[in-house]
Amino acid sequence: MSNQKKRNFQIEAFKHRVVVDPKYADKTWKVLEHAIREIYNHNASGLSFEELYRNAYNMVLHKFGEKLYSGLVTTMTSHLKEISKSIESAQGGMFLEEMNKKWTEHNKALQMIRDILMYMDRTYIPSTQKTPVHELGLNLWRDNIVRSSKIQTRLLNTLLELVLRERTGNVINRGLMRNIIKMLMDLGPSVYRDDFENHFLEVSAEFYKGESQKFIECCDCGDYLQQAERRLNEELERVTHYLDAKSEAKITNVVEKEVIANHMLRLVHMENSGLVNMLFDDEYEDLGRMYNLFRRVANGLSTIREVMTSHIRETGKQLVSDPETLKDPVEFVQRLLDEKDKYDSIIRLSFNNDKTFLNALNSSFEYFINLNNRSPEFISLFVDDKLRKGLEGVSEEDVEIILDKVMMLFRYLQEKDVFEKYYKQHLAKRLLSGKTVSDEAERSLIVKLKTECGYQFTSKLEGMFTDMKTAQDTMQGFYASHPELGDGPTLTVQVLTTGSWPTQPSVTCNLPLEMSELCEKFRSYYLGTHTGRRLSWQTNMGTADIKATFGKGQRHELNVSTYQMCVLMLFNNADRLNYKEIEQATEIPALDLKRCLQSMACVKGKNVLRKEPMSKDIGEDDAFFVNDKFTSKLYKVKIGTVVAQKESEPEKQETRQRVEEDRKPQIEAAIVRIMKSRRTLDHNNVISEVTKQLQSRFLANPTEVKKRIESLIEREFLERDNVDRKLYRYLA
Amino acid sequence: MPRASKRKAPPPTSPSLASCDVVSKRAGKGRPRKDVDKIDSLFESYANQSLNMIDPTGIEALCSDLKVDHTDVRILMLAWKMRAAKQGYFSKDEWQRGLKDLHADTIPKLKKALPGLEKELTTASKFEDFYAFAFQYCLTEERQKSVDIETVCELLNLVLGPRYQLQVDLLIKYLKVQIEYRALNMDQWMHFYRFCNEISFPDLKNYDSDQAWPVIFDNFVEWVRDKQS
Repeated sequence: MSNQKKRNFQIEAFKHRVVVDPKYADKTWKVLEHAIREIYNHNASGLSFEELYRNAYNMVLHKFGEKLYSGLVTTMTSHLKEISKSIESAQGGMFLEEMNKKWTEHNKALQMIRDILMYMDRTYIPSTQKTPVHELGLNLWRDNIVRSSKIQTRLLNTLLELVLRERTGNVINRGLMRNIIKMLMDLGPSVYRDDFENHFLEVSAEFYKGESQKFIECCDCGDYLQQAERRLNEELERVTHYLDAKSEAKITNVVEKEVIANHMLRLVHMENSGLVNMLFDDEYEDLGRMYNLFRRVANGLSTIREVMTSHIRETGKQLVSDPETLKDPVEFVQRLLDEKDKYDSIIRLSFNNDKTFLNALNSSFEYFINLNNRSPEFISLFVDDKLRKGLEGVSEEDVEIILDKVMMLFRYLQEKDVFEKYYKQHLAKRLLSGKTVSDEAERSLIVKLKTECGYQFTSKLEGMFTDMKTAQDTMQGFYASHPELGDGPTLTVQVLTTGSWPTQPSVTCNLPLEMSELCEKFRSYYLGTHTGRRLSWQTNMGTADIKATFGKGQRHELNVSTYQMCVLMLFNNADRLNYKEIEQATEIPALDLKRCLQSMACVKGKNVLRKEPMSKDIGEDDAFFVNDKFTSKLYKVKIGTVVAQKESEPEKQETRQRVEEDRKPQIEAAIVRIMKSRRTLDHNNVISEVTKQLQSRFLANPTEVKKRIESLIEREFLERDNVDRKLYRYLA
Repeated sequence: MPRASKRKAPPPTSPSLASCDVVSKRAGKGRPRKDVDKIDSLFESYANQSLNMIDPTGIEALCSDLKVDHTDVRILMLAWKMRAAKQGYFSKDEWQRGLKDLHADTIPKLKKALPGLEKELTTASKFEDFYAFAFQYCLTEERQKSVDIETVCELLNLVLGPRYQLQVDLLIKYLKVQIEYRALNMDQWMHFYRFCNEISFPDLKNYDSDQAWPVIFDNFVEWVRDKQS
């Protein structure tokens, strides 16, 4: 065992400082400075990354970050100034090349420098809130190169010059452009915007203003629009290739404004090539282009729509007032349908089925169709023609298509009740003469009308069909109970329920004896089975088939109206009859009798009678004979005059009057309905409510409504308020 | 007072003697209230005994005594005062009502009351009432709702003429020329008064056809405007 002295170890502090070599910082900095230089001079391969990093690290550690940073700034700045000079001295096309090259090099160098100085970047810079190295490098480039007084303007002008050259048809170095532009973008959004984009947009506006002004003077509309489309596509391409994506919207706006918006009205109204001409000629492609271009600008589409609307209204107005077209109702309606088809196609193919355009089309049609108050009659005549012969041999689907088109026109009518009246008349004639091409087609149309207007519209029409069906059964029953009549003339009776069929004034007509006896037998038969009814013969609506033998033995079967039959049968007992005698014998009203005689004596091919004198009109003293020389290629000759025709003026007046009369109770019913639910209502509101309620049938005349109100006041359904005389009150 | 067109007045009897008789007969009776009594007896003096009403004959006699023409508007006013229901006839109640209101029990007193009656009818509300009454009074048939144009013209002249002669003259001219209406109803009648009151004349500037005027007035205004242009 050894005696060990316990010693207290004391660690003494270093008595003397370790003095860092004051020149240490300078020395270290010099190393780094040198390195930066070498990096810029493309001599980086000889450097040791580790050593440089360590040096930088130490500087920061020993509190020499400030020196390091400011040194960096100074070195880079001076270097960039040299680079700036070299770029400035580049000639012509080399200017951008040089800049691009230097920029690439700068970025590479900056990368390396940043790596070396990473420690500073991460510690010193955040704590002192100085700009990080990479950003610093970009800012220095920006301030010393891009915004240097000698370069800034030149750079901008060069870029804009290139864009202009490209726009005027030359090829430029797009890759180079892209790099330079990207450089500006990298330097910051405000740099791109202020140093390039704003100017670019300004210059582009000037360019397009000039170009469009030139083109509008010398191009036609279609060509101009094609050019506009081309330019827009070009600019899109430009952006994709070498501009910032955010510029797309801005440059597009510029082109749209200068090329389209500023010249919109002039284009649309251009003589010989504007919108109206395109519509007229069905230029689908040009119209589509116009639509697509105009929809980009404010009011573009509404401009097109307005011009289209006024054009349709104008042509429509001419169509419905053209006396030539109005001579043939079927032609008239066909032209309306053609017009509608035309515009439907245009809107579908060129205007993207745009609903606002369809609405404009519909309102235009509604406007001009109702300008002519014979439209309802004509549409009914068109339907009549189709259902008589026009749909012969047409497939079921095509029939539906045509009927749907008719319904479409029907919807435009304001006076639907007038249509109803005519339709009823024409349908009656079709049914009674058995001249319907297709029962299904008739029914199909009735169903469509019912869907459109409700049950009341069609209930009477359906009654007509029912009557026709019943007639068959009735005739069977009649002949079954009178077998002795089998040899005589065949009678076919259609019993029409009054109210379902159009009202006809009862007319006088003396039937030939054979017929009148037969008719009486029928009457008693019918009334025997249906007590409490009254029958009146409608001699103005019947037809007859009679066999006739003429002078040379020609035999024919004549299909005639009842009136005509009465006249012809008279000649069984007389060779010559004058007008007065015929009138007396038949008691047919003068106007009808004259028409009847005309159709048998004055029409080529149907002149079974001969008239003296041979004039076209029927005079009171004319004499009639059977035309022994009558010939016809056909055995069966049709002379009937029961076809639905355009009404004569007095007939038209009469129908119109009846329609007006029918409207009065409808107006009153509407007024009462409204007042009953509202109890009190002021005058103007009553008028507007009534008009609205009756809209689906006809357009109510405010004066007429007023008169009905007065009538209701007189009959004490309504009263005026004592204090406010504009207010009406319902009296329960 | 305008006559109902169907009535023809039989020749007048001489009422004055008859009334004296009646008065003298009653003088001796008991002591009922003097004025009612007198009014009643006055009634009797004109009344048709079988009807117990004053009939057109009696009214003619009355007019003659009052020295007022039977077409004078004051007779119509009297009818109004009485609230007479049937044109050409006064019932006892009506007679009493009227004369009591006028504080008249003799012919002279009645005559003196007439100017007062005219004055009473210058107030707007009373006049309007009278105006409506005038038309109603012409609806003599049961369920009659309108009065023929001729009569309307006369009535207008009689009732509204004094106040609005110019308008009435023009209206009458129009009514005679137009063919759309053969007779007018109460609603239209009331509007004549309203028209004269509200619409400036002769320019008719403030006439607004949106204000629910009967159609005849729209037509009238159009006619006037056509004439003026």
